[in-house]
Amino acid sequence: MRALHTAATGMMAQELNVQVISNNIANMRTTGYKRQRAEFQDLLYEHVRRIGTQTSDQGNILPVGIDLGSGVKSVGTPRIMTQGTLLPTGRDLDLAIRGEGFFKIQRPDGTYAYTRDGSFEMDSEGRIVTAQGNVVQPGISIPQNASAISINTEGQVSVTIPGNTTPQVLGQLTLTRFINKAGLQPIGDNLLVETPASGAPQDGQANADGMGDLQQSNLEQANVEAVTEISDLIAAQRAYEMNAKVITATDQMLQASANLMR
Amino acid sequence: MANAALVGLSSQMALQRELDTVANNIANLNTTGYKKDSTVFNEFLSPTAREERFGSADQAVRFVQDRATWHDFSQGPLQKTGGPLDVAIDGDAFLVVQTPRGERYTRNGALQVNAQGQLVTLDGAVVQGDSGPIVLQPLDRNISISADGRVTVTEGGETKTESQRGKIRLVSFAKRQRLQKDESNTFMVPAGVTPLPATNAKLVQGAIEKSNVNGVLEMTRMIEITRTYTYIANLLQQHGDLRRTAIERLAEVPA
Repeated sequence: MRALHTAATGMMAQELNVQVISNNIANMRTTGYKRQRAEFQDLLYEHVRRIGTQTSDQGNILPVGIDLGSGVKSVGTPRIMTQGTLLPTGRDLDLAIRGEGFFKIQRPDGTYAYTRDGSFEMDSEGRIVTAQGNVVQPGISIPQNASAISINTEGQVSVTIPGNTTPQVLGQLTLTRFINKAGLQPIGDNLLVETPASGAPQDGQANADGMGDLQQSNLEQANVEAVTEISDLIAAQRAYEMNAKVITATDQMLQASANLMR
Repeated sequence: MANAALVGLSSQMALQRELDTVANNIANLNTTGYKKDSTVFNEFLSPTAREERFGSADQAVRFVQDRATWHDFSQGPLQKTGGPLDVAIDGDAFLVVQTPRGERYTRNGALQVNAQGQLVTLDGAVVQGDSGPIVLQPLDRNISISADGRVTVTEGGETKTESQRGKIRLVSFAKRQRLQKDESNTFMVPAGVTPLPATNAKLVQGAIEKSNVNGVLEMTRMIEITRTYTYIANLLQQHGDLRRTAIERLAEVPA
């Protein structure tokens, strides 16, 4: 019977759903994390009696037919790219973006990746880097004797050098936008990379072209809401159980038929 | 005498197909914009035997036939997601999408943008506006979708101007039951059914329409199906016993 396989597709879909939800919950406190959602679609239908078939020579047609579906498939786990709340941290190199942009990061192999996680550090050469040591573009180096690093909403990094009264501007951080942010591919370490679906990156500066502004000494929290995730988890678990029951019921029916022969 | 077995069999076959429908509903419990199916049965009268010498009028034998599956188009619950490109349809309407198989209609409003900036569904089918696809520009932000489907964005850099990027086309049908389910949450129309502009529906941004399958209801239907199926199986068994006894008794040749 088809019902067995249909229920199996349902169980597999709910398993994936639970995986996505658990990843969201696991990343509840990950800076700049954007929650994902599992999306499903129904599978092919078998048209046992096709709508519109002629039933008589007088031109009567079937007003409704019999369509038997064959289950569900998962089509994607799109990221919900809404703004996360900002958490003040007090650290000079913690940055949060309020808007659409991403920080541009150069990976060790020379390619670029993008992130919303602005918890930056300084490496031995004074460059602004991510927690993994990848350089934040365009690669601003802070002199050793500098103090009072300040990054304004436009992303301009300025420091005070001893002996100088006016702060010195060292450079401006690059922000990047994509037409389809949800099309970026996650590669771990809070990094995302460009794909054919995301469109080409458009580099720019904060506070222009809808990039959003930068908030120093703040971090963007994950946009995961515990209540939503838990209620989704309950729904997914129940749906899984119901699909398992369908398999039991189908099995019972098959058994009833098998018992006919003695 | 064979009729009892065949009537039972016709019923079991219909029940199996009904279970397939229920299983598909349950599998799609969490599918955005899914509309549940139900099966309709009717009786199928077999031609009666005619014989002059029968004492009373012949009883017609009634078989079970599953006549149709119909789509329950009732509104599914709206779930808040906060995603700017999630739209739920409140009321009787469908979104129009262009798929490789032709124009299709869907209630699944979990939309995305593709690399060209077009508004698409999750499997990449382009959502149709009143005048072609809705195309967003690279620098657009603050996407807002009004209740009647107008897509408005803030564009440009320093100067913030509102501009309209199109109006999502919403259609409805005079005879909704004639819509036929195609895969991927879409419906197709048979020849002779034309979409009309929807008048009685609105879009809700930041929400999606959940499946309208009621888990409890489907579970009870499933229990009903399995029980009926088992009863009929018992009936068939008793019928078989009856025949065996008859054959054994009648075949007893007195010595």
